[in-house]
Amino acid sequence: MGLMTSRPRVTPPNMVPRTPASEAGTASSPRPSTTLVQITASSWREAHAAAIHSGGRFAGLYAVGPDDTTGNNPANRDRTGTTIRSVFAFGDQVKVLSARAVPTQAVEMRRAGTSVAGTSGIGRTLPSIVDILPAAAWDEREAHDLYEVDFPGHVPMRPLISHSDDLGSWTVPVVGAGTHQVAVGPIHAGVIESGHFRFHVVGERVLHLDLRLFYNHRGLERAAVGAPLDTGLAIIQRACGACAVSNTLAFTQACEEVLGLWPDAALSTQRTILVELERLYNHLNDIGAMCAGIGFAPGTMAFAALKERAQRLIGRLAGHRFMFGTVHIAKGAFSPTRGETREARLELLSIKEQSARSWREVLFNTSVQNRVTAVGILDHASAERFGAVGPAARASGIPLDTRSHSPRLDYGELQPPSPVDPTGDVAARMAVRAAELETTLALLDALLARDLHDAAAGAITEGSPIGVGVVESPRGATTCIVESDGTTIQRLHLRTASYANWPAVAHATAGNLLPDFPLVNKSFELCYACSDR
Amino acid sequence: MFVLLRQLHSTRKSARVTRPARRLSLAVRHVDAGSCNACEHELGATANLFYDLSCHGITITASPRHADVLLITGAITRRMVTPLLSAYRAMPEPRLVAALGNCAMGLGVLGDDRDLAGPLEQLLPVDIRIPGCPPTPDQIIQALVSSNLAGQAITSA
Ligand code: SF4
Repeated sequence: MGLMTSRPRVTPPNMVPRTPASEAGTASSPRPSTTLVQITASSWREAHAAAIHSGGRFAGLYAVGPDDTTGNNPANRDRTGTTIRSVFAFGDQVKVLSARAVPTQAVEMRRAGTSVAGTSGIGRTLPSIVDILPAAAWDEREAHDLYEVDFPGHVPMRPLISHSDDLGSWTVPVVGAGTHQVAVGPIHAGVIESGHFRFHVVGERVLHLDLRLFYNHRGLERAAVGAPLDTGLAIIQRACGACAVSNTLAFTQACEEVLGLWPDAALSTQRTILVELERLYNHLNDIGAMCAGIGFAPGTMAFAALKERAQRLIGRLAGHRFMFGTVHIAKGAFSPTRGETREARLELLSIKEQSARSWREVLFNTSVQNRVTAVGILDHASAERFGAVGPAARASGIPLDTRSHSPRLDYGELQPPSPVDPTGDVAARMAVRAAELETTLALLDALLARDLHDAAAGAITEGSPIGVGVVESPRGATTCIVESDGTTIQRLHLRTASYANWPAVAHATAGNLLPDFPLVNKSFELCYACSDR
Repeated sequence: MFVLLRQLHSTRKSARVTRPARRLSLAVRHVDAGSCNACEHELGATANLFYDLSCHGITITASPRHADVLLITGAITRRMVTPLLSAYRAMPEPRLVAALGNCAMGLGVLGDDRDLAGPLEQLLPVDIRIPGCPPTPDQIIQALVSSNLAGQAITSA
């Protein structure tokens, strides 16, 4: 019975269980997935246009090479020049475009009149792609800040990770009668991560929002350079508590690709359970957070209690309330007993009933619905433009759920629920999560009935110098790239769903009332920690 | 709404939170100085029906100006040093500093030295240490309650 789908705008989730054939043993057939394509700086833009044209989904752009303090890290020392790589996903296949950035001095400075912030003697240059691929804007700004790469065409190049005292360098100038700025953070009123928001407002209406995040930038990626793969796992583990499984799983999959390994059926089932448990407690948390955003205390408390029950269950099953230490390279560390899984399935059933009942109360409460409808709209075109992912993208009508093409995981023929009326407002994002909760609970019930023992990964290929892992985290597609010789990490890059979606939050906030921002923000419920790294 | 309230009532009853015999008050201001957010999740969880932080007389305040305790999570990033110190300076005296989680206690911190400011102990006098990665809601409440009951430093500082 479609208990969670009483909101009429969402179709019942359609979960086709795995076919008996796949039950028997072999997980989906292994196949290589990442191809590295070397191109020249001059064909950089064309190659991107072609990748977009042929249906590729942009999954991140990053720099490889000496970073801003060249030479501190031995792994960087023998590298000359900087390379930029751009990741595109075509279903379960990944294509990485790679081009060498040209030293700035060698480039004809045709950028007369435009000053490029932070350009120094050792700068490197590659044409910007933000005009054809706006979703890459943050990625280029990051590469500019941390690797001193210039992207002619990306004007103005605002600092992202570097925090400048010059307000004008990172905010959009908004002028006119009655406009003023409201600065919030980095320390917020509640128990929230650190980040700074600068609202440009007229009266109560937000005209524009500038974000300044990266207060929690710990240099995790740089710390991983030159470290063994296992240290990389520990580093990624601590990038974000609420996405710990998704992030470590993406990292692990990337490492396994580097090592030429493929998980067996038991390992892929174990991992799928872990990532769905993570989705379960996060979605419960996020629906509660949205209730908090409008001050609907009974909803907040009900979903907070459900999240607690889910986390207690997770603690019993996996030994840690956030599942730290449950994902490993090429092996499984999660094998609850039959008795434990039986108890877990019963508890999940009870959580399912109670969350369905609570969700109905939220759904049919007129004052709640009045507050969430037509607020914080992310329209379909903007969601596409910003490369939004996850529930936020699905609520705006983009049917992107990377679970349907995750051959390394155990999703069988999963057809994720799709909203019928994806209005892109807070109500739609709430409804998408409620529908997904039901899918997740059904998946967990089916997967926990399986045999989870003797999980391992077996060799299938020689390995590869670059591996890319994509996992559908509770907030959407998270990508992790590992470049390695098989023992030490040469470059680690984590582009989480939160990183992909932050620009969309700023966009969806413009035009709304300032007091609605907490609600709009919570309807995306993005992490700062996993963007900041 | 009625269904929700009834559900909350029965959850709260089943949670069996033991009310402390003696209650004092303690206002806590939280600052995330580079955490992974799990410490925040557990701190937030202390307010749910299963732990009910407020029945111990402890509240989380919106401003450091009303706080007795500055509760800090995370490896201390360079970018958070200034906001952290201004929050501390905004507090009335006497005041306590609590390090929540292994990161804030300087244990097993991961990251790049160029982005981290070093241990919290070197920036502020730490009075309460709550180890764990993350500490559970029970452990957080325990630590705050015992510091509160001991009247630690709040009166003597
Ligand atoms: S102590 Fe552990 S849980 Fe807390 S912020 Fe640090 S890594 Fe995260």
